[in-house]
Amino acid sequence: MFQAASAKLAQTLLVLLIVSAASFAFLKLAPGDPVGIMLGSDYSKTSYDQLTHELGLDRPVVQQYGNWLADFVRGDWGTSYITNQDIFELAVMQALPVTLTLAALSLLIALVIGIPTGVMAALYRNSWADVLATTLAIGGNAFPSFYLGILLIWLFGVDLGWFPVLGFVAPWEDFWLGMWHLVLPAVTLGAWYVGLIARITRSSLLEVLGQPYILAARARGEPGWRVVWVHGMRNVLMPLVTVIGLQLGGMLRGAVMTEVVFALPGLGMMVTTAVLNREYIVVQAGIMLTGLLFVAVNLAVDQTYQFLDPRLRRR
Amino acid sequence: MDCAVALTTQAANMPVSEEPLLDVRDFSLRRGQAVVLDGVSLALQPGETLGLIGESGAGKSTLALALIGLLRAPEVQLEGSLRFRGTELTRLKEADYRRLRGNKIGLIFQDATAALNPCFTVGQQIAEPLKRHLGLSKWDRRERAAELMHSVGIPEPRLRLDAYPHELSGGMQQRVMIAIALACNPELLLADEPTSALDVTIQAQIMELILDRVRELNSSAIFVLHDLALGAQVCDRIAVMYAGQIVEEGPSERVLAAPLHPYTRGLKSCVVELGSRTLVPIPGQVPPLDAMPAGCRFAPRCPKAKAICGEQRPRAEIRDGRQVACWFID
Repeated sequence: MFQAASAKLAQTLLVLLIVSAASFAFLKLAPGDPVGIMLGSDYSKTSYDQLTHELGLDRPVVQQYGNWLADFVRGDWGTSYITNQDIFELAVMQALPVTLTLAALSLLIALVIGIPTGVMAALYRNSWADVLATTLAIGGNAFPSFYLGILLIWLFGVDLGWFPVLGFVAPWEDFWLGMWHLVLPAVTLGAWYVGLIARITRSSLLEVLGQPYILAARARGEPGWRVVWVHGMRNVLMPLVTVIGLQLGGMLRGAVMTEVVFALPGLGMMVTTAVLNREYIVVQAGIMLTGLLFVAVNLAVDQTYQFLDPRLRRR
Repeated sequence: MDCAVALTTQAANMPVSEEPLLDVRDFSLRRGQAVVLDGVSLALQPGETLGLIGESGAGKSTLALALIGLLRAPEVQLEGSLRFRGTELTRLKEADYRRLRGNKIGLIFQDATAALNPCFTVGQQIAEPLKRHLGLSKWDRRERAAELMHSVGIPEPRLRLDAYPHELSGGMQQRVMIAIALACNPELLLADEPTSALDVTIQAQIMELILDRVRELNSSAIFVLHDLALGAQVCDRIAVMYAGQIVEEGPSERVLAAPLHPYTRGLKSCVVELGSRTLVPIPGQVPPLDAMPAGCRFAPRCPKAKAICGEQRPRAEIRDGRQVACWFID
């Protein structure tokens, strides 16, 4: 147990190290000379050399990387050239909670719609529920989320006026107003997931319902709903969690689009603005944070397995 | 009205042996065009054990599943009659059938490893019928589950209550399966090849355990087996099935000692016996369900078959205290 956990942790740290090296290299390889930009158009060779030395840019690259990593771990992520804002503050305290809220709400919507649709599709094969599940699955994957977002804004925001079109209100400040602002973005982002969840639920449940232990549960007089939702779905959770975990990268990618379309001040919006402003140091923070998030989710999924599948628990 | 009440009371006081516990009459099961069970008839008295013997594909397991009501319309089409304690099962509503399953009729599966849900502890699975049918409280369920585990020979049942199926050996898993099937003291126990997935060394133990428990509870039992000799050894009566039909049915000793149907004889002679040097396999194979012969289903493989066998189905005849379905019994 301890051995497996420590091996997992070492693996995770290695991944994070590679991500950090890549994002450091990205800053190094990006066109433009930070010293030149900071000094303006007119400067002497001495002042150039002096600033280069002060910034530590004359030291070996490996040492520069080490210093940068140490600063990063300490939470010293630098300051934005444009807004003069502390980047750690901007990324972790402001942008991250927005993206996490959006992702969580989208996942919730996708689960609430996707699981019952998948169960119905499995129980009544070739019925309307099955057709709906397949349509959602194909449609959700084929429909670009930025386009769906614009359609939703046009229909529910502009035409019907039911939901706000743009902007973000923090749900932790005003819960209902915040949720009201998040409905359209969460539906846009969740739509991609609904079909996926419905499809996985359908195929996993069909496989599980064919198992002898399902017949055995019926043979001891368990009613049909309990056989499906308790004996069956308990075994569907494992493949479902696997797929959700694996596809979380896709959700982060979708969040970028959704945040831009709905002008939500999340990580995606932060990185997009930074790219347009050529503010590479903020982009770098975005890459690191996304990498951390991804690794954290994977670790969480791994831990969930042991909780979900008794066969993986070690005593 | 009074008369009806009097009649019921009288019926309740009548000796139980008057009406069989289970009465299967001319029972057929079709899956689309395929006739999986064809005109099966048998009766089981309270406390009696019956062995259903035959090759794989003979319809033994199908009959067991149909008896416990897990094979019903619209999945399959049923004809004829299944009477259990005087109740017609083929017309029973699903909700009423559910009250019999795991309660009055128990089922032991062939492969306990596959028939136990990997995500629930064995204690939870044994407790399910106790909650469903007996309505025991949580604490009582746990107590009773531990008692049941003890009664099927699981050591330290209290520690094992919270074990998951994969933490137990195959033999222990089958003991758990038996505990589940017997949890509500069923009047009829169905055991579908209860030992064939186990190691040879524990097969006898498990068989012995089931028989002991059945005798102790005074239940009737139907054992689905493919071994004629084993069936004759453990059961009061034997019913030999071939391709969805019962070809011979009667008291074990007589069926084993002097089989009347050519198929029963074939089954007997393809078992290796100590001291015997002959091993005669039955030629050919069970015909596929969609290409069953019109007459006797065994005719194509029968050494004694004549023209009539292929044309007309032999009716079951009572001979020597048993029913045999063959045109040429002598």
